[in-house]
Amino acid sequence: MWKTIIRRLLLMIPQILILSILIFIIADFMPGDPFTGMIDPNLDPAQLEAQRQAFGLNDPLPVRYVRWVGDALQGDFGRSFNYQQPVVAVIGGRMGNTIRLSLMSIILTYAIGLPLGILAGRYNESVLDKSILVYNFVSFAVPIFVLALLMVWIFGYNLNWFPSRGSVSINANTTWEIWTSRLYHLLLPSITTAILGTTSIIQYLRSEIIDAKVSDYVKTARSKGVPIQKVYTKHIFRNASLPIASGFGFTVVSLFMGSIFIEQIFSYRGMGFLFLQSINTRDYSVIFVLVLFYGFLGLIGTLISDLTLMAVDPRIRID
Amino acid sequence: MSNKKKYSMLASTAAVAFILAACGNGDNGDTTDGNGVDDNGASEEEVDDVDGDDNGNDEAASDEPQPIEFETRVENEGEPIDGGTMSIGYVSDSPFTGIFSWELYSGNPDAIVMGYTMGTLIGSDENFQFDDSGAATVDVDQDTNVVTITLQDGVLWHDGEQVTADDIAFTHEIIGHPDYPGVRYSSDMQNIIGMEAYKAGEADSIEGITVVDDLTLEIEYESVGVQMLQAGGGIWSYAAPRHYLEDIPVSELESAPEIRENPIGFGPFKVDNIVPGESVSYSRFEDYYRGTPNIERLELETVPSSTAVAAMENHQFDLFLSMPTDQYENFENIPGYTVLGRGENAYTYIGFKLGEWVTEGDDIDQPQNVPNPDAKMANKNLRQAMAYAMDNDAVGARFYQGLRSRATSPIIPNFADYHADDLEGYPYDPERAMELLDEAGYEDTNGDGWRETPEGEELVINFASMSGGDVAEPISEYYMQSWRNIGLNVQLLDGRLHEFNSFYDRVEADDPNIDIYQGAWGTGTDPTPDGLYSRYAPFNYTRWASEENDAFMEDMLSEEGFDTEWRAEVFRDWQEYFMEELPIIPTLFRNEVFPVNNRVGAYDIGFGVDPDTDGAGIHTWYLIDEDRATE
Repeated sequence: MWKTIIRRLLLMIPQILILSILIFIIADFMPGDPFTGMIDPNLDPAQLEAQRQAFGLNDPLPVRYVRWVGDALQGDFGRSFNYQQPVVAVIGGRMGNTIRLSLMSIILTYAIGLPLGILAGRYNESVLDKSILVYNFVSFAVPIFVLALLMVWIFGYNLNWFPSRGSVSINANTTWEIWTSRLYHLLLPSITTAILGTTSIIQYLRSEIIDAKVSDYVKTARSKGVPIQKVYTKHIFRNASLPIASGFGFTVVSLFMGSIFIEQIFSYRGMGFLFLQSINTRDYSVIFVLVLFYGFLGLIGTLISDLTLMAVDPRIRID
Repeated sequence: MSNKKKYSMLASTAAVAFILAACGNGDNGDTTDGNGVDDNGASEEEVDDVDGDDNGNDEAASDEPQPIEFETRVENEGEPIDGGTMSIGYVSDSPFTGIFSWELYSGNPDAIVMGYTMGTLIGSDENFQFDDSGAATVDVDQDTNVVTITLQDGVLWHDGEQVTADDIAFTHEIIGHPDYPGVRYSSDMQNIIGMEAYKAGEADSIEGITVVDDLTLEIEYESVGVQMLQAGGGIWSYAAPRHYLEDIPVSELESAPEIRENPIGFGPFKVDNIVPGESVSYSRFEDYYRGTPNIERLELETVPSSTAVAAMENHQFDLFLSMPTDQYENFENIPGYTVLGRGENAYTYIGFKLGEWVTEGDDIDQPQNVPNPDAKMANKNLRQAMAYAMDNDAVGARFYQGLRSRATSPIIPNFADYHADDLEGYPYDPERAMELLDEAGYEDTNGDGWRETPEGEELVINFASMSGGDVAEPISEYYMQSWRNIGLNVQLLDGRLHEFNSFYDRVEADDPNIDIYQGAWGTGTDPTPDGLYSRYAPFNYTRWASEENDAFMEDMLSEEGFDTEWRAEVFRDWQEYFMEELPIIPTLFRNEVFPVNNRVGAYDIGFGVDPDTDGAGIHTWYLIDEDRATE
């Protein structure tokens, strides 16, 4: 297994390289540069030009690329034009927020999805099952930004149950206050993400369980006299959870990506918010690193999926 | 706030323009109750009243909503409470970056956030001209080219140290430093004697800057001009605490915790806590030189424009800054708030591409605008006709609910002494427009319904316009329809609106496909238009130039200009000339609005109001209730 992991990790290097070249080329097509919006007649155009020169924006694409890779290998990912700070510091400052949001969303997604999927599968064709299916279709159909806006409007502004923006209150001073305030700010966006993230979990789990219910091994277990509860926990659930385990990596990654919308609408200052901001201001150095990071996450996601699958199902061997 | 001279290209950045307000607007229909000061409630109501009274006068104009006249001051009666916390909602889709330094910041959000704490040295009057109302006074000696800045005694940094002349020298040294990473090293800085040598690392100090004593600083310039009397007109009116920052290398300043986390200034409030990009809290500075502020604590939070109205309906803030005017009808009558307004230092315009920016050539000594007499839009009659064809009174009233009004000159009314208020501009007159075109020979010769050029060639005018905001598209359509109505075939460039960056990229590069474009300029606080319309201005995007215009520009900046009456006369003549030549059509003057909660005792947004007046200076703000007013 370790061999597999190492091989997969090694394979990522060329993948990341190709991705980075693509981003560089595509970013080059974007009109404008970080200084386009900076209009100040006090500034000699020569000064702006000097700034462009200093940031190396005038060099040909291959030169810029090679220099960027060279610096990146030494841990220097460049400076953000917009934030006037090293990119690593800018992203690092946001990463905590996004990780907290994603973690919370993952926990809630599974906390909602697993029980609902099991219930729907076990009592299929019941009223409960049908209501869960309705919920599932609705949450599948509703785009994330529509639900997010509704949630802010209803729970943030009309009912005032949750804060409608931000990641932490300015009045939180002690560590305890800061963490509770953070949690409070997290709830609404992560519940929103979770509601929409459960579709495939519920669907897979439900159909797998329905299949398993009539399969031979279940009949055997039942005829042996194993209690129904035990059949579900010991036999059916384990088998039914296979596709979910295999999707785990992707779920994690898609939650990170989905945070772009959520963070924008909830004004939650994480990486997704930063990403949109950077595109608007042509903050190239931040965009590169973020896209690369998302790409890297995608690769890691598939690896994790494969590994969890191996862990859950001993029959599967990936070489 | 910030005194920088800065023209800014304006774009309505509505990245995620979902508007919650529209949903929640129904529940406060007619709750206008004579409680508190509500005298500027809604002028539309007044218009209705006028309609009711008028006897059979059925001119179409009387149905038209009129431009709204705003109050700039509100006073709410009540006993001031002791201290209290005032919260400010700053509506912005770009978060502040958190650089607390006048030398190093670059974006407007940072200027707003800094405004409460860093302090500026010199006050200014209603024309944005320096006066004696600040922490220091300035004296410009036009014979010796020496500017003397004299500080008041007893102006203190937040750590208790005195603000000295040396601190003013220090801010210049930061910007002039060879390692300085920011963007404030401008031609105004280079104008200081010895600055360029210092920048090049050839001198240890700036020759032209002399600290006379603790409170007096002299700066010798290569040349001084009348525009230097203007806030942001060439004198850098800030100070930086040398004792606090001197040990940090200039190249590392912008990452230093002394700038980003624990900044000190000499403004009325000290920074307490910063949540990067989201919010800042301040507590009052007891030793503020104008007196201890009444309010104990300030909280400022950035609010995205999409939820600003919802935040206002929920009474989340006492004061809203940069409230989006295109949602005005959704918030003008929210109970608990009084909406103040004032002219914005900006105008919208239609520019005609008339030439090219040329950087080198046989007969030019420096980069300049070279007009092309054969350009498609070079005919003055054509330009004037297009101006007459546009009904900007209606655009201001209908699309902007009266918050914008037809512009009559490129100098905004806020520059009261310089704005020519006797000019009529180009009111809607399609008949006159068609006459002008006929006169110039633009006639439909081949019967296709469009006018051809006097030479008989097809005339297709390409119009570039920016996307952003809800009204960008309908307004562009409306303008094009107006021009088509007088027989001009105007097409949208590439058939669509353009995103801010690509728009200015193409306008700046004199893209030959652009004939006319719609843009907007923020004017800053210096009325002198040389940065936008002189022959040598790269931002003169129309590339228009003429010898008469050169002469006007020279006069405006000449020494005689110290006689302000004479200078105002030059401005007036220039505006008349400019509006006749019409390289741009100034289309709309704008208003900015400030909703203030009725528990704020007094609030004043007038320009040049004495800072010690109740409600004007931040230290004079006070509250009259513990809780925010909801009606």
